[in-house]
Amino acid sequence: MKDPKKVFIALCFIVLSALVPLLTKSEYLINLLVMLFLYVIISQSWNLQGGFNGQISLGHSAFFGIGALITRLLWISKVPILLALIGGAVSSILLAGVVGIPCLRMKRGYFPIGTLGLAIIAHITVGNILPVPGSLPSEYIVGYSLPSRYYLALSVAILSVLVVSYVVRSRTGLAFVAIRDDEEAAEAVGIKTFGYKVKALLISSFLAGLGGGVFAYHQVSYYYQSPFELSWSFLPTLTTFIGGLGTILGPIFGSVCFLALNELFAFTLGEVHLVIFGFTFVLIVLFVPGGLMSISQKILSLVKYPGRSGGTATLSS
Amino acid sequence: MARTRGIRGMWQTLVFGFLNGALYGMIALGIALVFGIMKYLNVAHGSLIVVGAYASLFLFRLGVDPFATIPVVLIALFLCGAILFLLFFGRLMEFPEGTKIKNSLLIAFGLMLVIDNLATLIWTGDERSMTPSYSGVTFQAFGLRFPLIGLSGAFLALLLISILHLFLSRTYFGKAVRAVSQDHEAASLMGINVSQTFLISFAISVSLASIPSVLIGLQSFSPTAGIQWFNKGIIVVMLSGIGNIYGVFPAGLFLGIIEALSVFFFGATYREVTGLVVFVLILILFPKGLLGSGAES
Repeated sequence: MKDPKKVFIALCFIVLSALVPLLTKSEYLINLLVMLFLYVIISQSWNLQGGFNGQISLGHSAFFGIGALITRLLWISKVPILLALIGGAVSSILLAGVVGIPCLRMKRGYFPIGTLGLAIIAHITVGNILPVPGSLPSEYIVGYSLPSRYYLALSVAILSVLVVSYVVRSRTGLAFVAIRDDEEAAEAVGIKTFGYKVKALLISSFLAGLGGGVFAYHQVSYYYQSPFELSWSFLPTLTTFIGGLGTILGPIFGSVCFLALNELFAFTLGEVHLVIFGFTFVLIVLFVPGGLMSISQKILSLVKYPGRSGGTATLSS
Repeated sequence: MARTRGIRGMWQTLVFGFLNGALYGMIALGIALVFGIMKYLNVAHGSLIVVGAYASLFLFRLGVDPFATIPVVLIALFLCGAILFLLFFGRLMEFPEGTKIKNSLLIAFGLMLVIDNLATLIWTGDERSMTPSYSGVTFQAFGLRFPLIGLSGAFLALLLISILHLFLSRTYFGKAVRAVSQDHEAASLMGINVSQTFLISFAISVSLASIPSVLIGLQSFSPTAGIQWFNKGIIVVMLSGIGNIYGVFPAGLFLGIIEALSVFFFGATYREVTGLVVFVLILILFPKGLLGSGAES
């Protein structure tokens, strides 16, 4: 973020978001924004691995879930929430280290399926061991304040965006992209591909675990297995692809679209937004590898410089 | 089913495991065929099985016997497969292998979401099943029970595999399919119409879902059950080794028996986990599959 204009716009957004709980008392709106921040966190985390490193993971629900589980258990046994969050994130890294790294050793192309298998194992196992809903103890419910959840979610979301933008601008990030674009070529110029893939996995699982922790802090009562549900793996895949794979703004934009569609069809049976999103996803994978961000950038550049690509302007907008 | 202990209970468990395994083998065959021939990972195969089950249920309610619906479901799924290939999967033919696996997986994943959620919208999320008059009938032999439906399913599965085998090994088209799966560029140079071969192979692989459709329809199914069945299938494919069509059915039986034994020893709650643990272990320890010759790199 060298561009001062971009930094200024980002700061404006952050200040605006920080003011929301002061301006509105609508719990609906605040809860909605917390969900949005959760989506942004897990999407950014996924994006680092899937978008920048090219390792499509369908196992993020396991990292998100373990973060939620450990944070919740630590928190209700009187550990301060910030420490509990770190505990959750560390446990997520440990899980990634123990089961994710073997997945990276699989033959190319099998990583998504291997991680999907792990996510399902984690979901079923947690559902079997802890089949009960995890409600907060009553003294926690009395002290429950929505703004504190909101600010935590906002800060973790900002943190995840900062971490991902910092990493991808570093030497490590260049290596990630090189591996994504051509693994053999990257290996040939001396990049230790496996090490960097592990690095991407660990950073990504750290962020996903933090996201899970935020989920555990925000929800009053949920089944312990629900953050392990596969939808938490599918969601970041969808939002990142649709927003724009391997960009910082893409996952944010995708999350906003996803949440908006979700709310629009909240009252219909079944999940119409998933039908629309699934279909858009297929079209984007096939035809627009840059996602919606690349379309909007094209349109913007056409608006700014209408002369540059004459006739097609009216068609594409 | 009461959990019976002792040696007889063990044998009974094995029988049920064997019959379930035949179903898994059938599911896996469709996935393995398309994966072996064109390196597409059709995650939506399970969802297509569920769609087939709904088609079968529709006909069953009109008074058709479930097993008699197989030809209709087969043709319907064949057409489905052809349409999906023409619209989506056909566009991936030119990519290198790694990209093909990844992109076909992503497309199939999107389609899976679309199919599952459309199915929920159309048929609601309720569990359904077909219950013809003979649904509980069992045979007694050697002091064990053999359910009629399971036996017929296993028989049909063997029949279909034999037909597929004859088709792939004895016909000109089968030869073309095998040539394309070995090297599609060379096959194209020899005058084989690669895209047509791909189209028909894909449609055949989807139509192979018809027998599992009916068998699952006779158990119970819901719109979101697709991914579970896909899981069983992919575990079996990995067990048998990629590109090894003939290993698929034995591997299916193996999975069925492992699952049955795990239910016998650890209880039903870890049934799904057993298969997946085996799967992940295989992916890590034997990336080319247990029975596989690992023909390709």
